[in-house]
Amino acid sequence: MTSVSAPKMTFSRFLMYLFVIVVALLMFSPVVVVILGSIRTTGEFMSNPVALPKTGIKWENYTDILTKPEFWRSVGNSLRITLTTTFLVILAAAPLAAIFARVSFKGRSVLFNILSIGLLFPLVVAILPVFLQIRNLNLINSFWGVILPLVTFSLPGSTVILIGFFRAIPAELEDASYIDGCTTFGFFRHVLFPLARPAIAAIATLTVVNAWNEYFLSLVVLGDSKKWPLTLGIMQFQGQYGTEWARVMAYITLLIIPAVIFYLLAERYIVTGLTGGELKG
Amino acid sequence: MAGVTYRHVYKRYGDVTVITDLNMEIADKEFVVFVGPSGCGKSTSLRMLAGLEEVTEGEILIGDRVVNDVPPKDRDIAMVFQSYALYPHMSVYDNMAFGLKLRKTPKSEIDRRVKEAAESLGLTHLLDRKPKALSGGQRQRVAVGRAIVREPAVFLMDEPLSNLDAKLRVSARAEISQLHRRLGTTFIYVTHDQVEAMTMGDRIAVMSDGLLQQIDSPRNLYNYPGNVFVAGFIGSPAMNFFDATLVSEEGKLFVDTGDFRVHVPEDRQQPYNNYVGKEVIFGMRPENLHAPQFAPPGIDASPIEGIVEVVELLGHELHLYVNAGKNSMVATVDTRLQVNTGNQVQLVMDMHNMHLFDKKTELAIR
Repeated sequence: MTSVSAPKMTFSRFLMYLFVIVVALLMFSPVVVVILGSIRTTGEFMSNPVALPKTGIKWENYTDILTKPEFWRSVGNSLRITLTTTFLVILAAAPLAAIFARVSFKGRSVLFNILSIGLLFPLVVAILPVFLQIRNLNLINSFWGVILPLVTFSLPGSTVILIGFFRAIPAELEDASYIDGCTTFGFFRHVLFPLARPAIAAIATLTVVNAWNEYFLSLVVLGDSKKWPLTLGIMQFQGQYGTEWARVMAYITLLIIPAVIFYLLAERYIVTGLTGGELKG
Repeated sequence: MAGVTYRHVYKRYGDVTVITDLNMEIADKEFVVFVGPSGCGKSTSLRMLAGLEEVTEGEILIGDRVVNDVPPKDRDIAMVFQSYALYPHMSVYDNMAFGLKLRKTPKSEIDRRVKEAAESLGLTHLLDRKPKALSGGQRQRVAVGRAIVREPAVFLMDEPLSNLDAKLRVSARAEISQLHRRLGTTFIYVTHDQVEAMTMGDRIAVMSDGLLQQIDSPRNLYNYPGNVFVAGFIGSPAMNFFDATLVSEEGKLFVDTGDFRVHVPEDRQQPYNNYVGKEVIFGMRPENLHAPQFAPPGIDASPIEGIVEVVELLGHELHLYVNAGKNSMVATVDTRLQVNTGNQVQLVMDMHNMHLFDKKTELAIR
């Protein structure tokens, strides 16, 4: 299994490939449908959802969207929510994880358990109390009403990933940094944080994708359509062009692209980040 | 430049006491080695001095200053760790410069010191590399370099050679000794390896169970061990011990183990007179046991007989593990001796180098 040269195709190996290919196709088929739909006419799409364009690629599906100011406004809103959320998650999760991983104090395990419970509840389940809280804080119709809950619900997962990474960093590095002249914060800033870059990249990616695709919370919190992110923008667009399926598909493709690009850029970090710190030397 | 003083130092973790009443004066520019088996408290003693562990009770002084509450960075020390603890994300240059940068040393000064240290350690061509791209020996030298550039008053080393292979360890040992002479700084060095201790230290502090057993020059530790632990720990193969009784017959003193009886030379008898008729522990180093035909002149003891159980020829040394009744012993004998496992062998003891310890206190009788 680990040989470097091309292995012989045995029956079990054939089954393995078959399984992987089937799963990949299942995962990828909606994306294929969307992309194929977005470059054809609605008529072509309705008659056969999965087919190549017959009369050339319909770029106007895209250009129509890309020339609308509402689209670019939604892009701006999505970016604002996503980047602020990600920045805040890193800002909060890194020190939190550093404390849990490197400092022993009374009640650490209790606090850690409380934090881990946060992993069990998706935002959607808690939407009612979250909504009430947002209303009490006067954040209805504000970006912060979306950003703050997103940060809160991303924190447990991000922190747990970082804790694993921080724990793997040898204690002697910490000792060495103190002798070199670091304070506890200096150790965090100069040693722990730079070494955790793969893990930071991993949580950044997860948060970016999560925030970029967020739909339900924005729907509940943001009443003003001028503040809608792309996910709500699609809804609005669908309302206007309900029968123009091809354009809706183009819109969805445009929504997917940034998340995919970001994932591809960060992909090599994510694996190391999620599997913990392989630190040698 | 500064000496180091431990004054009635205790270290406790909850109910467990790991260091008990440690008292030690280390002179300026001295090279002192803390040695002992794992868990003896040698590393903890060093880490308390470094400020990485709190002192539960007592005082530690660097120079004239009590440093108990001084953070590590303000103690004017530098430390080399067993794993080297190089920062993996920094180049060799940055690893060495890091401490100086934090101290806001001017850039040109940092550059000068790093390059000088790199030059002296043969690291100049490696300055741009990351630690990952270095061999074990190179990493160890970078760790030493990082300590040198700081120009500290006291150098601390916690088993810095343990991760090197045997051959490299020998050359690194010599390099560190030379470094000490060149820098003229106080060195405190922790190891579990008695060869490192014997070859490098001006003085050796032998520790066991959180207690300082003895601190003295390598020669004195070897020739005049203060108790059974030190006698057994220093020297390889370890000293042979026999439960024995001291008996006096016709004005002559004998050590009687039950299996054999050996005569105590007249010039050694004086301190032992009070122990006549009492139980003692009799110690004899393997190299003071000789095959009669190769024994140096002046050894007049009657030979002991035993069966050879194991023969170890190291080239320059021949170790015999011999069983004599209820006692077994190791002898380092002349390599010309022809002997095989299972053979009967005769050994004579050089009683001028005998050691005698109180059975109860295990302290040397002097």
